[in-house]
Amino acid sequence: MEHARHVFRVLLVLVVAVAAFVLGRALLVPKSYGLYGAYRADNVGEQARVREPRHAGPESCAGCHAKQAQARAAGSHKAVSCEICHAPLSVHVQGGAVKAKMPVDRSYQLCARCHRKIAGRPEKFPQVVLDQHVPAALEEGVCLPCHDPHSPKP
Amino acid sequence: MSEETRPAEGETAPCDAGRRDFLEQGIRLAGGAVVFLTSARAAASSAPSENPLSGGYDWNEHRYAYVIDTEKCIGCGSCVRACRAENDVPAGFYRTWIERYVVGPEGSFVDSPSGGIDGFPPAQTGIAATKSFFVPKMCMHCKSTPCVQVCPVGASYRTRDGVVMVDDKSCIGCGYCVQACPYGSRFLNPTTHTAEKCTWCYHRITKGLRPACVEVCPTGTRMFGDMKKEDDPVRKIIERERVGILQPHLLTEPQCFYLHLDKEVR
Repeated sequence: MEHARHVFRVLLVLVVAVAAFVLGRALLVPKSYGLYGAYRADNVGEQARVREPRHAGPESCAGCHAKQAQARAAGSHKAVSCEICHAPLSVHVQGGAVKAKMPVDRSYQLCARCHRKIAGRPEKFPQVVLDQHVPAALEEGVCLPCHDPHSPKP
Repeated sequence: MSEETRPAEGETAPCDAGRRDFLEQGIRLAGGAVVFLTSARAAASSAPSENPLSGGYDWNEHRYAYVIDTEKCIGCGSCVRACRAENDVPAGFYRTWIERYVVGPEGSFVDSPSGGIDGFPPAQTGIAATKSFFVPKMCMHCKSTPCVQVCPVGASYRTRDGVVMVDDKSCIGCGYCVQACPYGSRFLNPTTHTAEKCTWCYHRITKGLRPACVEVCPTGTRMFGDMKKEDDPVRKIIERERVGILQPHLLTEPQCFYLHLDKEVR
């Protein structure tokens, strides 16, 4: 019996250590951790629900702004989404109701962002040297008398 | 073995035997406990459905990929602005950005003013350029990604539909992943102090929408597709055209492919 006492003492320490490990792990490791890999599986759903989509695409604009949508779809800006020049739909509409006016940018910089002639742009893409193309002073609205942004002609 | 060194029989032998027995049984017990605990856990983890998302979206049915055609990019920055608006990307940081390469015989020049968010000014290079082009950059959503490997807390992971994401509740903001990413696609959010990156707009693609950058791209430079759909245009490009990847020598298996990639692009 003398030797057995040693054994039981070590055994007790072992049992306590295993219990502490199991309890500690259960408390510290998130519930869904390890379901699909070494990460918290619940985060996948959290990421999918992180917010409602803000860009809705040109089709959603056409519902109320048919005239501009048709002009755009028929012209050379047909690939230019409304939300590029204006803003994401979520700025303007929430839950089917208008919540704020959509920003309208009349600056020449908006046009220049795509059509100013600079190094890097593909040759075939329509672009102009600003000071040569614009006879007037470069100021807000200078492009608009000649070019309709919804359906521009060259 | 000589007679002197052998232990005297009947005196120490029972004690040795007891210790050996104890160790053997102890190891068996511990092993048994480990097997029992892990099997109990495995049984618990295989019980839930193989899909963490509700609402009719099954991540086993998708595997996303991205194609960027550098010949089409005009450097307008619409994608960078859309990304910021869609994902509340903090000012001064970028989940996607555009680089301009101006290349001549003497060397090359690269710039990306504010990530290209307001477009690009005329290039002030001093180089006699023979070619110049824009290259949109973003997370490559690598299959074998170093950012996930280095994360010490399991906050970075790759989903079954092929998106590399960060769990901001687990992230401790150590920044290892930011340093590990060879493409510079990650940053530490200055408010939350956790790692942040492109998610291919996971909140959009799980609803069948395209990522915001693809949605607004006016030239078709950016394309997003699903490798599990047979007639997917992006899958066809990757399978049939000559596509490049960035830093192939690192064997990260990027899932973002480039058409008409120049050798100068890193």
